[in-house]
Amino acid sequence: MKAPKSKQESKSKEKEPQQHVVEEEDPVVSDSDDEDWSVEEGSEGSLSDSGLENSDFTDNKEDLTTSDDAVSLDDEDDDDDVGQDSQSESGESHQGVEESDSSEDEAAPRNTIGDVPLKWYEDEEHIGYDISGKKLKKKEKQDKLESFLERADLKNWRKIYDEYNDEEVEITPKEAKIIRRLLKGKAPHAEFDPHAPYVDWFAWDGAKHPMSNAPEPKRRFIESKWEHKKIVKLIRAIRNGYIKFDKPKEEPKVYNLWGDDQTEKAGGLAYIPAPKPQLPGHEESYNPSLEFIPTQEELDAYQLEFEEDRPKFIPKRFLSLRSVPAYEKAVKETFDRCLDLYLCPRARKKRINIDPESLKPKLPSRKDLRPYPSTCYLEYRGHKGPVMSISTDPSGQWIASGSSDGTVRIWEIDTGRCLKIWELDESVNFVAWNPSLELPILAVAVGADVYLLNAGLGREEQHKIEELLRVEKPEAPAPDESSKGAPTVIWTEDEKQKGIRLKHIKTVTSVEWHRKGDYFSSVMPSDILVIESRAISVHQLSKKFTQRIPFKLHGLPVSTAFHPSRSFFFISTKMTVRVYDLLKHELVKKLETGLRNVSSIAIHPGGDNVLVGSREGKLCWFDMDLSSQPYKILRCHKKDITSVAYHRTYPLFASCSDDGTAYVFHGMVYSDLNQNPLIVPLEILRGHHSSNGRGVMDCKFHPRQPWLFTAGADSVIKLFCH
Amino acid sequence: MAAMDIEEDEMSRQVQVRFVTKLKAPLKAPNTTIAIPSNLTRMGLSTLVNTLLQSAASGEEAAEWKHEAFDFLIQGELVRMSLGQFLLAKGITAEKVLEIEYIKAVIPRKEEEPSVHDDWVSAVDGSNPGFILTGCYDALGRVWKGAGICTHILEGHNDAITSVSIIKSKGARSSNDTLVATASKDKSIRLWKFDAEDTLDRPMTIRSFRTLRGHNASVQTIAGQASGDMMCSGSWDCTINLWQTKASEAGGDLVSVKKRKTGGENEESQSEGEAVSSFVGHTQCVSSVVWPEYGTIYSASWDHSIRRWDVETGKDTSNMFCGKVINSIDVGGEGSALIAAGGSDPVLRIWDPRKPGTLAPVFQFSSHSSWISTCKWHDKSWFHLLSASYDGKLMLWDLRTAWPLAVIDSHEDKVLCADWWKGDCVVSGGVDSKLRVSSEISVQ
Repeated sequence: MKAPKSKQESKSKEKEPQQHVVEEEDPVVSDSDDEDWSVEEGSEGSLSDSGLENSDFTDNKEDLTTSDDAVSLDDEDDDDDVGQDSQSESGESHQGVEESDSSEDEAAPRNTIGDVPLKWYEDEEHIGYDISGKKLKKKEKQDKLESFLERADLKNWRKIYDEYNDEEVEITPKEAKIIRRLLKGKAPHAEFDPHAPYVDWFAWDGAKHPMSNAPEPKRRFIESKWEHKKIVKLIRAIRNGYIKFDKPKEEPKVYNLWGDDQTEKAGGLAYIPAPKPQLPGHEESYNPSLEFIPTQEELDAYQLEFEEDRPKFIPKRFLSLRSVPAYEKAVKETFDRCLDLYLCPRARKKRINIDPESLKPKLPSRKDLRPYPSTCYLEYRGHKGPVMSISTDPSGQWIASGSSDGTVRIWEIDTGRCLKIWELDESVNFVAWNPSLELPILAVAVGADVYLLNAGLGREEQHKIEELLRVEKPEAPAPDESSKGAPTVIWTEDEKQKGIRLKHIKTVTSVEWHRKGDYFSSVMPSDILVIESRAISVHQLSKKFTQRIPFKLHGLPVSTAFHPSRSFFFISTKMTVRVYDLLKHELVKKLETGLRNVSSIAIHPGGDNVLVGSREGKLCWFDMDLSSQPYKILRCHKKDITSVAYHRTYPLFASCSDDGTAYVFHGMVYSDLNQNPLIVPLEILRGHHSSNGRGVMDCKFHPRQPWLFTAGADSVIKLFCH
Repeated sequence: MAAMDIEEDEMSRQVQVRFVTKLKAPLKAPNTTIAIPSNLTRMGLSTLVNTLLQSAASGEEAAEWKHEAFDFLIQGELVRMSLGQFLLAKGITAEKVLEIEYIKAVIPRKEEEPSVHDDWVSAVDGSNPGFILTGCYDALGRVWKGAGICTHILEGHNDAITSVSIIKSKGARSSNDTLVATASKDKSIRLWKFDAEDTLDRPMTIRSFRTLRGHNASVQTIAGQASGDMMCSGSWDCTINLWQTKASEAGGDLVSVKKRKTGGENEESQSEGEAVSSFVGHTQCVSSVVWPEYGTIYSASWDHSIRRWDVETGKDTSNMFCGKVINSIDVGGEGSALIAAGGSDPVLRIWDPRKPGTLAPVFQFSSHSSWISTCKWHDKSWFHLLSASYDGKLMLWDLRTAWPLAVIDSHEDKVLCADWWKGDCVVSGGVDSKLRVSSEISVQ
């Protein structure tokens, strides 16, 4: 190795900025090119004159190494002690080395013998020569015991003997600290920070002239020729077989016969090992224990059993192995096994381990959602045919029902008494009680007529209603209607029933009142030909006037409804529900039910939610603010849904179906628009018998109590109470 | 075998008992301690007591001894299972001599002939021991002397009568001493006077002397004050109205209007009255009112609440919410303070309003299977009440046991109304248009 090491480390304390400049050079090339190194090193300024020796570093070390059993750092000193000659002779004051890392202040050893083995002076009187050439006399040796005792003394643990200079040196606490740090492999001085941020003190920018004008050395941009040569040599050696690699280890030729061979043969993810045939048990031994051998009675009993029930194998006993006959079923069983393996499909079934309970939506308990109708306590009997439609009086005292036996009846809710009967000639399709408390009027759809009947109940004076239900005889409006063709509706007074009869041209299936009780609409869905707008007409009771709806119908109308608070009108056709604004004469919304055969609709009393029941047994809840798609679809009925209903005040809704059941749901609509309606199924109400495939024809809630009325095809009306 | 042993053990287990009673002499058992098997039930105990009595009686009486049904009280509770089970359930030791009090069983012993009406019997009042007042869906009120003997027919309403009440019957012994009121679905209340002492071959038709109008929906219930001067009514229009009933005021009253002077001597006395005051608070039909004390009215409504009204101020002083539609309430029992109510479910509930936090009923009786139409306290006993239900049954209850004392199943359809009569009879009317009288119920 030549003088400067490729790894240069220098350090200065207190007066000079600390820094490490480390340059790693390719050892192959470094000897040839020292300029690079010096260029960078030259910038170190004042350090440059003190040369390349790590003098300051080594002094301390040298002092330490003098101990007899010390960490021998001596060999390092060999190169470095050259610069020590210029030191002042401080003699004994060697201990007092406090600061001064710089070589100038360094106290040099008195002895000048240099790096020679001390053995040479072992037998001499002196240990060497001082700087002036005088002999340095050896000190009187303490005997071993004394020195040991002295060492053992706690006070003197710092003292070490310097063999070279033949003197005792006491380590200062500071030096001890440094030793400790060195032993730990840290920088000797505590204040030295090995990870100090790098301060680039050289201003690289703005220099007019380059530091070095030397051209870029070649080695910077070509591969190393020597490395290349070495590699080529190795390659040749491998090719020619001079270099041999270790052979792969031989696997042991034994394997686990009884273990599952899945791990060894698993030739891919799809591989499924064949199920193993069952291993023979004790009874299949050639000489089984006596308890396995069936007695004669048991054998006889086997004969009585069916062929399939008999045991497949009957244990037998042989005295010796050689008396065992050949197994007669061997070929057959092997063949069966092969068939099994060949034909039996093996597939990995992926089973997801999820608790099915956790998949259920978290619904509140039914108990918390009380009250809701659950038990039938009252029945209203008297009709002789299926009850087609029911309607409750707004006060909740009476209920009206229309039946296919041609009668309309009014019942007292709390006793079940039939108060009134109207005999109409045809089957009653629909009854609707006027929602106004002051107008106890029933609208009844019978065949092609709509009757307005005076219920004769309620709070208002009867003559007012009688007045209202009177139509002027003269057919005055007829001529003006004729200009548009035949009128769809003719208002006449019906003497027999003491009401108004509205003659329609086709069968009327439903009648709906506006909430104020003056307007009502009727639907005639019977014919595709009247599809345009004549199928639905809106009538005004006070003016005895009928108008067609000014909207084109898209399909066969099924039912209509008035919005409970705004001037909206809902028309449901077989597939969709359309919402029109009656004041602005425009379509507001189109609800895509996704159903094929809508049978009934109901509007939530809040007006923003619509319930649609279909003949497929599906129930759709629309949140009109949310979208035109159903918010929830409930498939609960097995047969046609005949009617759906909302409760006016309680968060309840119900649906009834031809399968003879009615379902009651909790349907909470929150005033907070961000919260979706909560729908919880509550109760299945049974009790109606089906007749002619029809079950429950209509369901209506009591206007004030959480009670549900259901009208059955078995001609009974039931009241379900909470 | 082991089971047999236990059974035998059960059979042989004896309980030392002594029978005590408050009954009078012929029914008083000798006050001696006897040992009886613990598996005796009420029936067995009853037979035992009868045998005891018979043996104690003198020869002639013993010969024609009539078997009497008894009920047994141990520590204030009626025995409804075998004695051993009862003791076990109540944690009563069988070591000591057990004191068993026996009383006459509260069961109807006789079913009288039904009094047939033309239509559903909707209301009945048996508060006067002299007669029964009924209201009917044919808009007529009827007065019955006894089972099947109709003395008066009250004619005047235009629609079904919903409620009847005997307002005053102990007036001066003049000819027209009895004042009754009927409420109807024609929104009016009518007051009637007649002489209950009359004995007639044919029923006499009477017309009302006064019509009270003020409700604008059908009147559902009426109740009179004990003094007979005032009455109150509840209606489908959600209000409770107070009315004056004093006949003397009728003539000079400012509000009374002579109406329909179109001849007919009966209409002469017709006058109209107006409500003294009206209590507003209920939000639905007021289905039942009672006026047990001078200053308080209790009312029940379809809005699921029971309210107590202060008559002077017209304010409700308490409001109990019970969650069900209530059809009928009655106040009675211990200190005339317990409220019994039945409604749109088969449970008869009894509240004690004196208890703080009275929302939970103190008793619940649920043997009916349909709506309860009427419940009535016995006016002498603290423990007995009756309930009528749409399942066609009348049940007699004792607060000291959870089982009904007796089930009267004489009606063919819904029972709409029922009341106690003469302290030992139950009168009831229903959809089968019959007034049934079950008598000889020996309530102490």
